[in-house]
Amino acid sequence: MRDVSMGQYYPASSVVHRADPRIKLVILILYLVTVFFCNSFFSYAFMTVFVLITILLSRVPILKVLKSLRLILFILLFTTVLMMIFYVDEGSAPLAEWGIFHIYLNGIYAAIKLGWRLMLLVMMPTVLTLTSTPTELCDGLESLLSPLKVLHLPVHELALIMSIALRLIPTLIEETDKIINAQKARGAAFDSRNPFKKIKAMIPVLIPLFVSSFRRADELADAMDSRCYRGAKGRTRMKKLKAKAGDFIGLLFWCVITVCILFLNYNWFGWAFITMLSI
Amino acid sequence: MIEVKHLSFVYSPKTPFTTQALFDINLKIETGDFFGIIGSTGAGKSTLVSHFNALTKIQKNSGTVIVEDMDLSAKKVDLNKLRAKVGMVFQYPEHQLFADTVLADVMFGPKNIGLSGAEAEERAKRAIELVGLNYGEIAERSPFELSGGQKRRVALAGVIAMQPEILVLDEPTAGLDPRGKRDIMELVLRIKESCPTVIMISHNMDEIAEYCNKIAVLKHGRVMGVFSPRELFGSEELLNSCGVELPLVTEIAVKLNELGVNVDRSVLTEDELFEQLKKAVKDA
Repeated sequence: MRDVSMGQYYPASSVVHRADPRIKLVILILYLVTVFFCNSFFSYAFMTVFVLITILLSRVPILKVLKSLRLILFILLFTTVLMMIFYVDEGSAPLAEWGIFHIYLNGIYAAIKLGWRLMLLVMMPTVLTLTSTPTELCDGLESLLSPLKVLHLPVHELALIMSIALRLIPTLIEETDKIINAQKARGAAFDSRNPFKKIKAMIPVLIPLFVSSFRRADELADAMDSRCYRGAKGRTRMKKLKAKAGDFIGLLFWCVITVCILFLNYNWFGWAFITMLSI
Repeated sequence: MIEVKHLSFVYSPKTPFTTQALFDINLKIETGDFFGIIGSTGAGKSTLVSHFNALTKIQKNSGTVIVEDMDLSAKKVDLNKLRAKVGMVFQYPEHQLFADTVLADVMFGPKNIGLSGAEAEERAKRAIELVGLNYGEIAERSPFELSGGQKRRVALAGVIAMQPEILVLDEPTAGLDPRGKRDIMELVLRIKESCPTVIMISHNMDEIAEYCNKIAVLKHGRVMGVFSPRELFGSEELLNSCGVELPLVTEIAVKLNELGVNVDRSVLTEDELFEQLKKAVKDA
């Protein structure tokens, strides 16, 4: 249970770490949308180069980022294999065929692109969580969503819920470990292969976990109450978010990348070299 | 009997976060001992104790623990047999209660070690009565509606119902008021009549001095030594080198002695101090 540190904040001093979390979130959204516009190998490579540059700038060991790919390894393999064997290309002859399965050259290309896209989609969010603390992210999200207050959406409360949830993950893991040990000491077996038995064995862990979560929630509410917490109204911040010029340059830079990808995709002016790159 | 031989333990080995929790521990806990383990937070007490029923697996080439005739560094350890033999009560054991009724919760352990329903119920009944609760009144109630002290007793009963021969207690009195502490310790003494070996981790030196016959002092993952209470608390040198505080009673006795009252400095229990004070008053 201890190895759930995937994507957890990696302290370092870098441009990416210091950047305004709001700008980082906006860039991330822009990036995710842009990835979906990539459709040629060249555009994927183009995006990958900038992802790598971002990782290098963030001074996070690249292995840390790549580790996040382990989480989606199964989905990655599953989807690419499916793509490869079910892709149908009417215009060319299949390279191989077994019953309903066909492998076309374009199918292989499509599968590689799909896998590549999934990897790109996972890597950048990992960089975000590796370089921003949960608090920063919540503050950033709250600030970005604040226009929705006009619609009476409880933005501050949502951000608070999120930050409390994130904060309590390690505590819950620790607690789970403790309870599992306590029940093991009473002879409980968690290593049964039968899935029904496995679920049944979890009951003595889940119930105490729920009970203690409720207890902790009560205590937290009391602690907040006793410090006169009254929600967002009239509340000031110790650390005010402030976007610097560098942040906007970064944002502008990513906008340029998006435009480049759009050009690669749509080729509005019919430039010949783009046609050459679009395999 | 538990024998610990050259036991070492490393947390998260081969990572940047690696920390060695235990260094070459050697201990012998005999049947009948009330064995105290003390040391500051992070000294490795809980890690050491969790080896006794194989909750923590012994690492390769890191020594061994022998419980009665079972070598815990062996590849296949009969965990059911071991865990029935070594009962373990964790800090705040009431947090592990889960069943609908007190009876079902106490029966959880006995059932896990393969006892039939009737036998498990019989053991649960005995255990609930042993911890000083009224079986008829409490058996069918939900453990969550009991008071804090009652919950802790039920949790203790859940371990005792497995009828262990060795009982390991990790700070059994943490978070209780003085009367609750005394009640639990008296309960432990009662349990000790049927479960001859008790091992207790505690930060409360008064409890350690009053109840234990042997005390192991841990410091930074090493055993500083195993002493009798009189040896340990009677020697200022040992206390300083081990970083151990005096029990409150002993401290009072030392202060009184310094003020010229005729009491022994190595008093370990309240009763002893009371007797000595009575004598001192009579003499004066």
